[in-house]
Amino acid sequence: MPASTRRALGAVIAGTGIVLVAVGAWIVIMLGPSGEAQFSATSKAPGAIAVPSDVLNAVDVPVRVTATRADGGALLLAVAPSPDARAILAGSAVSTVSGLHYPAGRLDLHASGAGALTDVSTADIWRLSATGAGSVALVVDQGRGPETVVVTSGDTTALTNAKVTLSWADRAWFFEALAMATIGAVLAAFALNDLWQGRLLTVRSNVAKAKAAAKTSEASA
Amino acid sequence: MTRQDLITKATAVLRLRRDDLLRQELITKAAAALRLRRDDLIRIVRVIVVSVVCVVSVVVITSVPGWGATHALLGIHEPPKASTTSAPLTVDQAKRILSRTFTAAYLGETTTGAASRADLRTAYTSEGLRGVAGRIKLASVQPAVATSPLLAPHPKLLAVSRGFGFPRFIVAQTVAPDGGLPILHLLISPDAATPYRISMSAEMVPPATVKPFDRLSSGSPLVTNSTGPLVTARTGLAVAPTTLMNLYAAQMAFPAKAVPKPPFVADSFSGQVQAGAAGVAKGVASQATFSQVHKVAPNSVYAVRQASGDALVFGVLVRTDSFAVKADQNVNTVANKEFVLLTGKKLITKAATMTTLEFVIFAVPQTTGQATLIAAREQIVAGSGS
Repeated sequence: MPASTRRALGAVIAGTGIVLVAVGAWIVIMLGPSGEAQFSATSKAPGAIAVPSDVLNAVDVPVRVTATRADGGALLLAVAPSPDARAILAGSAVSTVSGLHYPAGRLDLHASGAGALTDVSTADIWRLSATGAGSVALVVDQGRGPETVVVTSGDTTALTNAKVTLSWADRAWFFEALAMATIGAVLAAFALNDLWQGRLLTVRSNVAKAKAAAKTSEASA
Repeated sequence: MTRQDLITKATAVLRLRRDDLLRQELITKAAAALRLRRDDLIRIVRVIVVSVVCVVSVVVITSVPGWGATHALLGIHEPPKASTTSAPLTVDQAKRILSRTFTAAYLGETTTGAASRADLRTAYTSEGLRGVAGRIKLASVQPAVATSPLLAPHPKLLAVSRGFGFPRFIVAQTVAPDGGLPILHLLISPDAATPYRISMSAEMVPPATVKPFDRLSSGSPLVTNSTGPLVTARTGLAVAPTTLMNLYAAQMAFPAKAVPKPPFVADSFSGQVQAGAAGVAKGVASQATFSQVHKVAPNSVYAVRQASGDALVFGVLVRTDSFAVKADQNVNTVANKEFVLLTGKKLITKAATMTTLEFVIFAVPQTTGQATLIAAREQIVAGSGS
């Protein structure tokens, strides 16, 4: 392999390693040892908030859903099979979590419907529920999907200016990021060393050539 | 400063020989140990390094968010699909519902006033609510019937619905602490927003038993009312639920009407009702003409498939006892305490009616054979007279 090609390859590997180190280390710092990722959004549109199964059941780890009302009012968080949640919210004004952005930690909300909210508090479709005032959290385990979390005021009053936060925690993610950073560090070290060695070899070759040339000139003299 | 000078200074600072810094010695020795030429060893190492880098690069590149490997690494997947062959309720949920409902029923029957009415509305629905209201109203004159069948502390969960359609049901059984007959209960939730409530309850008729239902985790399907003997064996029943109820109601009428080839076997409950009607007719014959009709209450029939393929069919019949007082006759009703309590009338000169709900449950075979009554209860709920 020509020296120039080898150097280019070494540079690419070193660059990749450095990127891995940077990204891995950054994710390690972002997730922390608990491996927790958080996403949140504030719903300005009046109505209920729904976290559908595409988001709720996308990862096989429990998700912690937290709802917070700025005015400290009542909150009901409940999870039900998605067909039932759709049925009970049909026609009502609902802000649905339609996507999430990592690492921004942002949730997309999609507002739909305009009807008055049904009083969902007496329904028997809810597998888990939590009520409270100001801020309420519900940990939804996996395995019963597809399920949807519905956040309401607990009666027919529409929610406004309510913040919903989703948190997933998996320590494996932390260690995966750590492994990424470590592999990157090894690659970068290897490649940089190879580059350094190649540079010295070139220097040595030049020195040898210079010595040979000097000897030749001395002999001829 | 030239490159040579740089290396020379570096070796001086690190107190190393130039060959050590360049690792010439090490590579040469390693090549000798592996019986390779030095250049070959370097080539092999480079090939290995390039291979590793390629593999790692592929993994890293495909780990970029939005690409497949990220999902695999993080465990992100498509959400599971809703199963039509599982129960929409967990067993714990169903038990909580039973506990709540039966507690409300007990409170409703043991308290008075607005709180009682609220509890009863929480516990009962449709004919079930009408029946319990009648039972409470007549408690003073029907002590035997007034004893709440809901005193059993732990209702036994027998079956729950399958799939996400509505209406949904829960079938439960209680046994009174005094060792009375087991009672079957049907709880119905008509839609997602409406909670389960008791639609009907009926004492089992000895020596009837209930065949097992499918596992609670998979739920039991409802048999649609239009299903009859002509449909396939797996989905059909020996007799359509509504047909069964209509024929059963018809054969209990007084004056009696014969039902050819009844799809049900004779039972003690209908025998008692028919004998009672005949006795009343005979008792009032000199003063009034008595007749009795039974009609299936609208939307009261539910058929729940059992594991064997048979089904339990729940239904409510509305019995109307009619008295047409003969001309120039007055009927003293004081002896009929239920009638007096319901209507406030102690003397009838023209006509009177009494309405009774009959809660019945049949075991219906899947293919051939007759249905068997396994539970029944009757409750007077209304009366009128003039």
